Amino acid sequence: MSDTDPVELLLESARDETRDDEFHVTGVMMQYYAVCKRELWFESRNIEIDRENAAVVRGTQVDESAYEDERRNLSIDGTIAIDVLEDGRVMEVKPSSSLVEPAKLQLLYYLWYLQRVVGVERDGVLAHPRERRREPVELTEENAEWVEGAIRGIHRVINRESPPPAEEKPFCESCAYHDFCWSC
Amino acid sequence: MNDNYHIFSDGRIERHNDTVRLVGLDDEKSYLPIENAEALFLHGQIDFNTRVMSFLDDHGVAMHVFGWKDYYAGSVMPERGQTSGRTVVEQVRAYDTPERRRALARKFIRGSIHNMRANVSYYDGRGHEFGDVIEQLDTQQERLEPELDVSELMGVEATARRAYYSVLDDVLPDGFVFGGRQYNPPDNEVNSLISFANSLVYANVVSAIRATALDPAVSFLHEPGDRRYSLALDIADMFKPVLADRVIFRVVNRSQVTLEEFETDLNGCLLTESGRKTVSKAFEETLNETVEHPRLNRKVSYQYLLRIEAYKLKKHLLTGEEYVPFERWW
Repeated sequence: MSDTDPVELLLESARDETRDDEFHVTGVMMQYYAVCKRELWFESRNIEIDRENAAVVRGTQVDESAYEDERRNLSIDGTIAIDVLEDGRVMEVKPSSSLVEPAKLQLLYYLWYLQRVVGVERDGVLAHPRERRREPVELTEENAEWVEGAIRGIHRVINRESPPPAEEKPFCESCAYHDFCWSC
Repeated sequence: MNDNYHIFSDGRIERHNDTVRLVGLDDEKSYLPIENAEALFLHGQIDFNTRVMSFLDDHGVAMHVFGWKDYYAGSVMPERGQTSGRTVVEQVRAYDTPERRRALARKFIRGSIHNMRANVSYYDGRGHEFGDVIEQLDTQQERLEPELDVSELMGVEATARRAYYSVLDDVLPDGFVFGGRQYNPPDNEVNSLISFANSLVYANVVSAIRATALDPAVSFLHEPGDRRYSLALDIADMFKPVLADRVIFRVVNRSQVTLEEFETDLNGCLLTESGRKTVSKAFEETLNETVEHPRLNRKVSYQYLLRIEAYKLKKHLLTGEEYVPFERWW
């Protein structure tokens, strides 16, 4: 493992795809970092999830059906996939507001990525279609630090030999890895 | 999403609109509720085409084929979620590291002996005197030392299973004589029942393993086989007392299967079609029974216990976290 600051490593990887110590962070990894670092470790190793799991199916449905008419799906560098509204704001849709912090971090990461890598400044909006609620999100300096701290944290987690141990959390019940973690 | 459908008659399965239709030789048509299906078990001579196979694949339904005299012939598994190079690499690494392989082999036997013991204690408490058998099983359990190599562990397993099978002649009703395990082919009614029920356990374990991207041919206790899914044998052994043997005791003691339900010829003794129907029906009922899982905090079916076992093994291989074998806890 190199001693480069993971944030630098990520920026350099985005510019040079041929590096041998490439480091990419996807939006989902950002979210898992905030929700459950064990899940992030599983995801980083492609340990597949149970797609019959009800919560996973629900998330996919909301994501695909909401705001169909006013959004465009953009993939950038093959690393992040964002929804851009007609007014230019970046939107992130969540099936419920119960995990608001992770969704916010994910959206902030998109804004950070657009600014640092693509060179575009955008505002964001967090949308909860089930609750007909939208929350504006801005990349302040403090938020940028939050994102960069998370990038370093993600780098640490995915470089571990073994996953962080399972911890009982309120949302474990609805996680696709629930039985994988707790069947012992 | 966890029903198995057994087809004993000859005929054809085909896609018909959004269902799977079974057409018998007499042109009689019946429909399989595919939405709830986990797997189809084909025991008869069945024709099918690629169209129905794609349809089953879309619905994540496996198909297990039983050949002549109901020997397991193979499976067609849904494509989804069953390839993961990393999983197989880790599996092979564990196999190839002697202390890791021995540790897993020992865990499987620990689970097997525990579950055999549970059946023996059940009958010990109901009019039988099996104290000496329980003692023999405990002795074998204590022999499972970390330094034993795999063939020595196999020996412990075989000794325990022989002790376990010694109770069968006492437990089964008059007329059913076991006299020791024989297969290829089974030589009497009891052996025939055991062979058939074990093959049902085995096929369900294959399903569970294939759903996790583990390679069913890379095993730890049994030698990895060229023709057999030897990992399924490792796992199935732990479940035979709980699934197969319970079903056998039940159908025989309730006279649902009598000695009339067997065909004996020069080449062994086999269940008739109606006997196999009865056993597989009782087997499916058992798979669907549920039990409160102490750590998942919900009820899970016996069938799901097989899936859990594959998850546990996969987790151990990918994370290094301890694998705890299935030991009946209720």
